[in-house]
Amino acid sequence: MTSSGQIKKGNTSPEAEHKALPEGYGATEAALLPRDPNWMFIYWEITENSRTNLTRAHGADIFQKGRQVIRVYDMSGVTDGGAPSKYFDIPVMLEAKSWYVNVQEAGRAYCCEVGLVMPDGTFIGIVKTNTVNLPGGRVSDVTDEKWMAVTADFDKLLQLSGVEYIGKGSGEVAKSLAQRWEMLRAVFSRASSWGVSSMSSQNLQKPEHQQQKKFWLVADCELILYGATEPDAFVTVSGRKVTLNPDGTFSMRFALPDGVVDMPIKAMSADETDSREIDIKVTRATTTDGK
Amino acid sequence: MANNEEKGYLSLVLHAHLPFIRHPEYEDFLEEDWFFEAMCETYIPLLDIYEKLTAEGTDFRVTMSITPPLCNMMADDLLRERFRRYYSLRLELAEKEVIRTRNTGFYEVAKMYERKFRRIRELYEDYYHGRILDGFKKFQDMGKLEIITCGATHGFLPLELRREAVHAQIKLAADNYRKHFGRGPRGIWLAECAYNPGDDVFLKAQGIRYFFLETHGIIYGSPRPRYGVYAPVYCPSGVAAFGRDMESAQQVWSAETGYPGDHRYREFYRDLGYDLEYDYVKPYLHQDGVRRNIGMKYCKITGKVGLNEKAPYNPQEARDMAASHAGNFMFNRERQIEHLEHFLGKKPIVVSMYDAELYGHWWYEGTDFLEFLFKKMHHDQKTVKMVTPSEYLGLHPDNQVVQPSMSTWGDKGYNEVWLNGTNDWMYRHLHKQVERMVELANKFPAADGTLRRALNQCAREVVLGMSSDWAFLMTVGTAKSYSTKRFVAHTHRFNGLYEQIMGNRLEEGWLKDLEWRDNIFPEMDYRVFSTEEMEKAAKS
Repeated sequence: MTSSGQIKKGNTSPEAEHKALPEGYGATEAALLPRDPNWMFIYWEITENSRTNLTRAHGADIFQKGRQVIRVYDMSGVTDGGAPSKYFDIPVMLEAKSWYVNVQEAGRAYCCEVGLVMPDGTFIGIVKTNTVNLPGGRVSDVTDEKWMAVTADFDKLLQLSGVEYIGKGSGEVAKSLAQRWEMLRAVFSRASSWGVSSMSSQNLQKPEHQQQKKFWLVADCELILYGATEPDAFVTVSGRKVTLNPDGTFSMRFALPDGVVDMPIKAMSADETDSREIDIKVTRATTTDGK
Repeated sequence: MANNEEKGYLSLVLHAHLPFIRHPEYEDFLEEDWFFEAMCETYIPLLDIYEKLTAEGTDFRVTMSITPPLCNMMADDLLRERFRRYYSLRLELAEKEVIRTRNTGFYEVAKMYERKFRRIRELYEDYYHGRILDGFKKFQDMGKLEIITCGATHGFLPLELRREAVHAQIKLAADNYRKHFGRGPRGIWLAECAYNPGDDVFLKAQGIRYFFLETHGIIYGSPRPRYGVYAPVYCPSGVAAFGRDMESAQQVWSAETGYPGDHRYREFYRDLGYDLEYDYVKPYLHQDGVRRNIGMKYCKITGKVGLNEKAPYNPQEARDMAASHAGNFMFNRERQIEHLEHFLGKKPIVVSMYDAELYGHWWYEGTDFLEFLFKKMHHDQKTVKMVTPSEYLGLHPDNQVVQPSMSTWGDKGYNEVWLNGTNDWMYRHLHKQVERMVELANKFPAADGTLRRALNQCAREVVLGMSSDWAFLMTVGTAKSYSTKRFVAHTHRFNGLYEQIMGNRLEEGWLKDLEWRDNIFPEMDYRVFSTEEMEKAAKS
């Protein structure tokens, strides 16, 4: 176990380490991860075996007839075995194997199920995720104060009465700090060492002038492109080289303005003897009633 | 209140961390330089300051994480030997340079490097005999430095699915800390300040009393924290959370107004690795002979001029500036704390948290700045008292109970830096490894012999893959291919061992090779991943 200073010259990694990662692990499974107050990431694997069982139970054409969706359940306040009261569906292709899920309400618990919505409206669930509790992303409304004294070795955890601390404006400290933090963070994110230019995740904001009115609506739309090929292939999208994940998948997310977006996707095999091309055209036209 | 009593506290927290990078299979490995550079520019200069302050009788308080990967690297025989080679070559070049630059504008800065590398050799060899952890331990035992730990491999806990993984990261870290520092850790730096509500129970199980959060982790907590980030809160488990003060963070970091941008300070992007005659500098480059930074830089920032118009660095002028910035920092903390004490009606604690490598590596004069700050805080004012979080909790054991919010100190404040299109493909593989590791630990409660060694190596490969560094490097795009290779390699090594164990066909030669490469945590006990251990910890 000790390094003992011995040097194996020219001994590079064993063959196995240049292999691509496994495409799957042979189990129908899904997981959900929190990204921020309004976004989660889901990945799944559905085995051939599971697909066969589904067609056997529900009919050979269910994957053609059913709409493939992620059903997002709001699990807040749902006790063990209880049924969630709210959900919505996100259309998806089962082959995508992963997706970013946007939710309007922060600070709640969510669980997802990948499945099929049949023409008669019935839902056939295929695989369900864990439940994720998203952060609230704002100052809490709860103002009851509890106090505790902790001694050095945790042998005494003592809850104190809050009486002597009750005073007005306790929440104001958090609120004013929150504003200051938001401001500094905005300045920071340009200047800090991270230099991260990650995908946009703008939360939809209520437009300023509409805040006086009671009823309002905002909506926007983005484009997610994804695919897979041999892990060592050379792939371009609209002429730009795409870096593949080690399992050969790729995905990109674009802003989608009104108009036509043309995206030719080209893949060339590593030995340059074979190639495939797919061209995707997307048209967006937004209209509003102007109110 | 007596006039000479302090009005509040300042806690300075430095997070020292590098991923575990050690490649015995190569004679010379580029990414190992990260560790050697940080040793020369940050870790040893910090010890130098602590030595000087102690010798002259200046009391100081500082809290510093030394993460388990860093502890493992600092204690590793091979890396110690390679570090000696690294600084010896630098010293050799610096000595030649003092002769070459005589009668030029670069003479003073050349002499500075000669002094610097001689001092490094003196501290490393004569003071600590190659064991610099003993140096840090010495100041901890004096009560001036509080060393805290971090997840075993700087694992990003909110993106783990299994609590067994969280428990293993914390338990391995606490055990490794005991081995190096002779007592349990009182505090922890959660990697990336990434907190997942409820994970604090696993800290408590190891006797850890506190951790740190980014500002919004506290102020978005529930119920509302009465004193914001200016007093710690207790999680329902009784573990304390200290929140980061943004004012002092921004004062140092901000690109527009932060200190490191001063024109008298050293220019990072002019390096002798590029500036010297090729044949003359070649012996100090890596074996491939490619010009790279070698960490010796002769110019100052100078102003908004091209890199070829930079003026010679003046060490004394830069050091004077660092003293002046330290004075400014202290003045601002005094005013901040006076204001807060009045506003809150309570002595506030201001927690200033930084990456340790900012000081010395990115901001060369940052270590001088710290030295002056400690001196000025001790001699020149009475408003602010420097404390460690443990000392604060001893003085003020009554705190509000708040459930902090999920948060990180990354861009945008949550998990996106570690979960985005560049790195999200990792998680299905990482989660599968953890699941399989738990399965192994549960299946073999008392393995011995080769099987036990294989199980321990599985655990090493899993924790190495869990480092948040890989996902981070993919996001920022630096060392992306190295970090991808590392993650893929640990995944293959784990999966290979797993299949051999389950198929009862262990190849001992391969196991031995992996033990030799990935030797982090020589004391590893794979049972740390068992469900029973995790449940026991959660209930404690």
